[in-house]
Amino acid sequence: MNHASSANLNLTLKIWRQAGPTAPGELKTYPLTGISPDMSFLEMLDILNEHLIAKGEEPVAFDHDCREGICGTCGVMINGQAHGPDSATTTCQLHMRRFRDGDTIVIEPWHAKAFPIVRDLVVDRSAFDRIIQSGGYVSVNTGNAPDANTTLVPHHVQQDAMRAAACIGCGACVASCKNASAMLFVSAKVSHLANLPQGQGERSKRVLRMVAAMDAEKFGNCTNTGECEAACPAEIKLTNIAQLNREYIKASLFSTE
Amino acid sequence: MTDSTTQSQAGLIDQVGLRWFFRLLSSSIGQKFVMGVTGLLLCGFLVAHLAGNLLLFAGAKPFNEYAHALHAQWELLAVAEAGLLLLFVAHVYLAVATSIGNNQARTGQYVMKQTKVPGRIIGANSWMFASGAVVLAFVILHLIDLRFGLRGDVKYLAESDPEAPFKNTVAVLNNPISRLVYFIGVVVLGAHLSHGFASAFQSIGLNHPKYMPLIKLIGKIFAVVIAVGFASIVVIVPGLKR
Repeated sequence: MNHASSANLNLTLKIWRQAGPTAPGELKTYPLTGISPDMSFLEMLDILNEHLIAKGEEPVAFDHDCREGICGTCGVMINGQAHGPDSATTTCQLHMRRFRDGDTIVIEPWHAKAFPIVRDLVVDRSAFDRIIQSGGYVSVNTGNAPDANTTLVPHHVQQDAMRAAACIGCGACVASCKNASAMLFVSAKVSHLANLPQGQGERSKRVLRMVAAMDAEKFGNCTNTGECEAACPAEIKLTNIAQLNREYIKASLFSTE
Repeated sequence: MTDSTTQSQAGLIDQVGLRWFFRLLSSSIGQKFVMGVTGLLLCGFLVAHLAGNLLLFAGAKPFNEYAHALHAQWELLAVAEAGLLLLFVAHVYLAVATSIGNNQARTGQYVMKQTKVPGRIIGANSWMFASGAVVLAFVILHLIDLRFGLRGDVKYLAESDPEAPFKNTVAVLNNPISRLVYFIGVVVLGAHLSHGFASAFQSIGLNHPKYMPLIKLIGKIFAVVIAVGFASIVVIVPGLKR
């Protein structure tokens, strides 16, 4: 641990303030002093909001829930990078020791047509929910658990599925893509279930419906620049997008759906 | 299964059972798939075109003989040209259509935007539309110059003249402005291919941990070979003696 960073930080925050979905937004500047480097990024915003409330100003609205990097609720652009400068890290897991005394930090919400701004840093990501509702599930008749080892899943296949399942649906892929494409998100969901035996029954239907839902939400196309992969806190890989393309073409050409 | 995106289309499409086909062509992934396939087929044409044109270095006689032999197969040539035109139009149309969709998908630019891709410099992948537009303009100019022979400042020999292929090529390239434009055209084409070749495989879904590194390498080599190959013709051929 680098103890040179133990001195408190004095920062200048430039935060996107927008009163409502149709209200005009702008960056507002807030000086903030005495921030401990051990705080998380969201705790730093909490401190700012306490100051704002004490002064009788409107606090900055931002999304957050678990604060341990698994729910995918928090997520803002920090100095132009989704979830800030660290790779494989959500905003809540970013710590202030990553910044230096005197830094200016620009904080903006995700920008995408499919993610309309609700207020300040909060965006409406229900487009992702609608994509999941269209096919991101398996239909299973419950009953007695089958005997162990009746359905074999090789380790590497299970690993591929698990790595795709790591997607937390935060929207950083859409936010960082110049085309606001949701391909990495949809590909993670499709790959996850296509790789497992439970997902086979709805394999073709799933990919056709999820891509149709994705297009209907007006996300952009993939131009293979790899920004999504670099921004993803769950380390979802571009190979999933290739699998999504493959699954979609296969379902279009060969399935009866 | 009903599909909301295609519900409005009915009649003939349903009778011949081609609804799936139009659903594919109207989807984002289907459109990128067609762009990838048409792009790779156009790469195939580039190989044939470069191979034929490199005969210029063998001298006027072999090149003229090759060109006349090729044009003697006019029925096949007409089919090939129609096919190339179709590939080209599809590729360009989808480039425009998907780019419009991409621009509409992003509302408002970030005040600040930084890449998280380690060591990324703004590469060919950010300029595919721009480089493609330059290549399109170059191809149109090239067709005017040497397919249709419509340049006012060039004295073309009649197509039936045995010397025409070589002499007309040299006549066009003798103009220094032509040479510069042709040089820029083929270099930008190389930049377009340096991202496009490997990216086409990704769009088609052919990304495999075993093969993708090789495909990426081949894509870069292919881009350099095409650019250097055509550029060498542009630079050297005007100075060649007969």
